[in-house]
Amino acid sequence: MHAYFLLFLQSARASFAYRQSVWGSLFSAGISYAVPVLVWRAVYAANPATPVLSAQVLFPYLLLAGCLNYAIAMNVEHRVGQRIRSGLIATDLLKPVDFQLAQLSQALSDGLFNVTLCLPILAVTYLALGSAALPADAVAFLSFLPSLVLAFAIMFSISFIFVQAAFFTYSGYGIFAARTAMQQTFSGVSAPLSLFPLWLQHTSEWLPFRHTVHTPLAIYLGWVQGSELWSALAAQLGWAVLLFLAGRAILAFSLRRLEIQGG
Amino acid sequence: MDLALHTEQLTKTYRRRVSKPGLWGSIAGLFANQVKEVPAVKRLDLSVRLGERVGLIGENGAGKSTTLKMLTGILVPSAGSLRVLGKEPWRERRSLAREIGVVFGQRPQLLWDIPVRETFRLLKTMYDVPAAIYDVTYTEAVRRLELSPLLGVPVRQLSLGQRMRCDLAASLLHAPKIAFLDEPTIGLDVSVKEQVREFIRDMQQRFGITLLITTHDLKDITETCDRLLLLDRGELLFDGSMPEFERRFGSGRRIRFELEKAVPAQALPELSAALAALGGKLGESGPHQLKVEYEREGAAPQLIQLVMARLSVVDIALEKADIEGVVARIYRRQAAANASE
Repeated sequence: MHAYFLLFLQSARASFAYRQSVWGSLFSAGISYAVPVLVWRAVYAANPATPVLSAQVLFPYLLLAGCLNYAIAMNVEHRVGQRIRSGLIATDLLKPVDFQLAQLSQALSDGLFNVTLCLPILAVTYLALGSAALPADAVAFLSFLPSLVLAFAIMFSISFIFVQAAFFTYSGYGIFAARTAMQQTFSGVSAPLSLFPLWLQHTSEWLPFRHTVHTPLAIYLGWVQGSELWSALAAQLGWAVLLFLAGRAILAFSLRRLEIQGG
Repeated sequence: MDLALHTEQLTKTYRRRVSKPGLWGSIAGLFANQVKEVPAVKRLDLSVRLGERVGLIGENGAGKSTTLKMLTGILVPSAGSLRVLGKEPWRERRSLAREIGVVFGQRPQLLWDIPVRETFRLLKTMYDVPAAIYDVTYTEAVRRLELSPLLGVPVRQLSLGQRMRCDLAASLLHAPKIAFLDEPTIGLDVSVKEQVREFIRDMQQRFGITLLITTHDLKDITETCDRLLLLDRGELLFDGSMPEFERRFGSGRRIRFELEKAVPAQALPELSAALAALGGKLGESGPHQLKVEYEREGAAPQLIQLVMARLSVVDIALEKADIEGVVARIYRRQAAANASE
């Protein structure tokens, strides 16, 4: 356990070691997070007549979704993909630690880094929106915390599965793009899923992506309560466990066929 | 059990995708692949006892790295069996990892963004290295490889030579039972190579580590190993001691003379006979160059005297073949043997 904790710490140190990238990340996070809001604001200004969702509901959702999406952003594809393609994965596999858990430890440090960067953006959000951006109530907030952790676990497991395509294609960009597109569409980060065409809404219910942004936010904003809240958390937990185990199984299969690149 | 590792008929065949040339070939490749089988290691039988020091040589593509990858558990064999410390490497990779140390000369195992010292600390925890062992391995590594000035430096700022030293230290921190060192001196200058060899020798003796080193530098073998394996196109061509190797394939010693004038063709038979009497043999020679090959150590002065008495010599160089040279000679010898059959 101690080894994984050290991996986490040192990976976190490495993340913060590049100060320039800290400011760069903060800047790009701010942009990617402000643009959808600006677009929607323009749409709402142009069509003032009875929107499907009131601006008071939509804007806090979008701002928080942007933050959340950023907080659970993964470096896994980049980190692991690059090690697979360069063959450096050989040295990871020769360590007496579990590869997936070691990657999770490092991904957690990404999470810590991202959450830290989110704080100033969140502060601005609260200043701008006031109570509309606060959790619905104490129960909503307390249930949001485990939901956030599960969202992170799901995101990690999805990335861990997708990145393994690099074992076979030796170039991972297409895979990364596919994962990002699905995440952007089905997580609810670009717009609340209730605004989607019905067939897309139904599709999203069969995919894990909605549980990375939509579900935790719905809990936070009090859109789901009581038994719905419990089943939302249960669905998240189910996906997290399923995807984590699937990632392990696929890894075991990949390693059997692995040909480490280079002499 | 005193076997460190044992293989029987160990075989690895890579499957390579063959794409047809040109854009259409690439597009066709998106839909259908032709696969070609490329044998890398063929029916290798090998046993190494605990504490042995073994050097593995061969040309590029001979199967050295493939063998090492199978022995360390990161590559699954196509056929045959292998046991390393009683374990089947690819099935028990993680538990085996605890007992072996590995350097892939071209692949650093140090974490890129953090100082060397932190990587060492992380490895100590990962491998559960007892303090008594770590005190020795760490102190020795720092002293012998002169690491103190490097400990606080992030790995990405190290030069190749510095990184190799740190990498070697990292692989031996837990005093492994077997060390697999894949080209541990690649890209190092001569003085650092010497340092690295000394460190390997010292750690080997102290902890009785079984060594398996692959290299292109014969000196790595002569100075750290007592058994030599020559791998060629996936097959074991030689397995024995260094002196045996030289007895069988020649030492590759050679004198090169640069001549003022070309040697007249009619003088060659007499020169060749005179050289032979002293244990020398005419090698490939150009118009203004004469190469004399010999096996016996100490034969050079007489051979030089003999040539200088007959020809006008501008320059002399003593050469010793590297692994490529030795292997090339073996090929030539085999080709000649096949032709004469």
